[in-house]
Amino acid sequence: MTFEMTLQRVRTADPDEVANPLPFYAARDDVRTEPGPVRFVIIAIAVVFLTVFVVLPLVVVFAQAFSKGIGAYFSALSDPEALSAIRLTLWVAAISVGLNLVFGLTAAWAIAKFDFRGKTLLISLIDLPFSVSPVIAGLVFVLLFGAQGYWGPWLQSHNLHVLFAVPGITLATVFVTFPFVARALIPLMQEQGTQEEEAAISLGASGLQTFFRVTLPNIKWGVLYGVLLCNARAMGEFGAVSVVSGHIRGETNTMPLQVEILYNEYQFVAAFAIASLLAMLALITLLAKTILERHLDEGQHSRGN
Amino acid sequence: MAIEVRNIVKKFGAFAALDGVDLKVASGELLALLGPSGSGKTTLLRIIAGLDWPDSGEVTFDGEDALARGAGERGVGFVFQHYALFRHMTVFENVAFGLRVQPRAVRKNEASIRARVKELLDLVQLDWLSDRYPSQLSGGQRQRIALARALAIEPRILLLDEPFGALDAKVRKELRQWLRSLHSEINMTSIFVTHDQEEALEVANRVVVMDKGRIEQIGTPGEVYDHPATAFVHGFIGESIVLPVDVRDGGVRLGGKALDIAVNGAAAGASKLFVRRHDMQVGPPGSGALEGAVQRVRTFGPIQRAEVALSADKTVIEIDAPRDRELRAGDLVGLQPRRYRIFAAPE
Repeated sequence: MTFEMTLQRVRTADPDEVANPLPFYAARDDVRTEPGPVRFVIIAIAVVFLTVFVVLPLVVVFAQAFSKGIGAYFSALSDPEALSAIRLTLWVAAISVGLNLVFGLTAAWAIAKFDFRGKTLLISLIDLPFSVSPVIAGLVFVLLFGAQGYWGPWLQSHNLHVLFAVPGITLATVFVTFPFVARALIPLMQEQGTQEEEAAISLGASGLQTFFRVTLPNIKWGVLYGVLLCNARAMGEFGAVSVVSGHIRGETNTMPLQVEILYNEYQFVAAFAIASLLAMLALITLLAKTILERHLDEGQHSRGN
Repeated sequence: MAIEVRNIVKKFGAFAALDGVDLKVASGELLALLGPSGSGKTTLLRIIAGLDWPDSGEVTFDGEDALARGAGERGVGFVFQHYALFRHMTVFENVAFGLRVQPRAVRKNEASIRARVKELLDLVQLDWLSDRYPSQLSGGQRQRIALARALAIEPRILLLDEPFGALDAKVRKELRQWLRSLHSEINMTSIFVTHDQEEALEVANRVVVMDKGRIEQIGTPGEVYDHPATAFVHGFIGESIVLPVDVRDGGVRLGGKALDIAVNGAAAGASKLFVRRHDMQVGPPGSGALEGAVQRVRTFGPIQRAEVALSADKTVIEIDAPRDRELRAGDLVGLQPRRYRIFAAPE
């Protein structure tokens, strides 16, 4: 940033510019500035696009949710099925975020700090959930745990319920969300290198002390960032969960599934009331993400030697 | 603490970073590992510290096997090239780190940790910075904090990797003298790695010159400068004029013409004549073994540096002459090497 600004200053101080003045429509203090009308059109396109595709739908969600008044809104939310969906979603998100936090930290640690055979393969595998359709992810679990699946009969004979129950929903969510923490941490940890860890070890710190006192504090904002995105996706996941859930009312419906069911039954207020919760989650996530990104940036600056 | 390194081999893939290195460091010594990048000097330092492990060979501290211990158990203070200060901790906490992570049984109480950190910050003259973060310090200050942090654990050996590498010239000079006086104060066996010959010669008691994973020469700064053991050392330390010569029939020939200098026991065959720039005596034409025409003269400080095209084979050499007799472009001069070495030229 500073470098860019310096460059600009140098450019304006260039004697050539004085000899050949810029065209009348270009601002003298910034050679990259486009002419006024062009700027207006570009910004207008962006604003219109965002309004139509982002702001408008968001407004509609809340408008629909409150269309029959606040009373209807809250009674829709306090419906036992709605409450059950909210509870299930929170549970599944908490478990998946927890598991993926551990997995993401381990994977990022391994990839950033060690060299080993098959590292590239591991990195590609981590990205797999991003490239596979969530529906397919769900189907994989049906194939593995379903009544006709590989492990289905065994599970059935031991009276264990994976599919159409909380474990299946959690598994599908974990699969879909596992890249987030690892992806947030790998570049950060790679950039930080291993010198601080080496310093800690040479000063007599044990592996755990090194991790908790040196590694973790350095990546804490990155961890939070990954957890945040992971959580948003875990709560909002539809496709994979839809395949494994079985849509048992009040039992295996997460919030997105409940929204769909209510919508299909023309209960618009109830559907949009739950949708409004998910929309609020999105807004909070966005806000928190902005704050975290600022912290991550600061971390980057203080890192410059 | 005396250190002994025996026949260390370390390979990274097919590349031999260290290729059979033997080294003895006496207790209390201040030793420099000097060499170009890729010579293996940092790898050797890291192996002594326990941050890397050799493929084969032995490292002992006072006769004790050091390789059996991890980095944290060797009692080694290590100062990293880019300092590796903990960026989320204050200067105080950085220095205190080694004391805080000690096992509970031997850990000092908070008051004595504070006293010890204060003492170390005083030693590096930076006690006024104790609440700052590493990002708020200058390079020289970071370097000294890194040193204080390494000394906190009361190491028996101090290892420094390119301690002045990332600093500007003026700070470098100050820190060099400071490190020397610090060493004579605490008198701890210390090894530092550098690619800067001036730094090595000025700071160290003994210099180890390395190239391509091998030790080329070990000696005092005076010895390696005045009596280089190999062509590499002669070329690497001090500015040298190198001329391709032929040793034949007890004489030295340059470009087919006999040079009036003694062979000094050099073996017959294609060889290289090494002369330091200031060891080339300048006189009137015919006064020396070599002759040439001055092409360009630059003067700085007490010397004048002249580019001379030799009449024997037209190569242009740079010589440093005192300013008692001004040289001018176009002068014909005679050159006599006062001191020189002849090494067989590697084929």
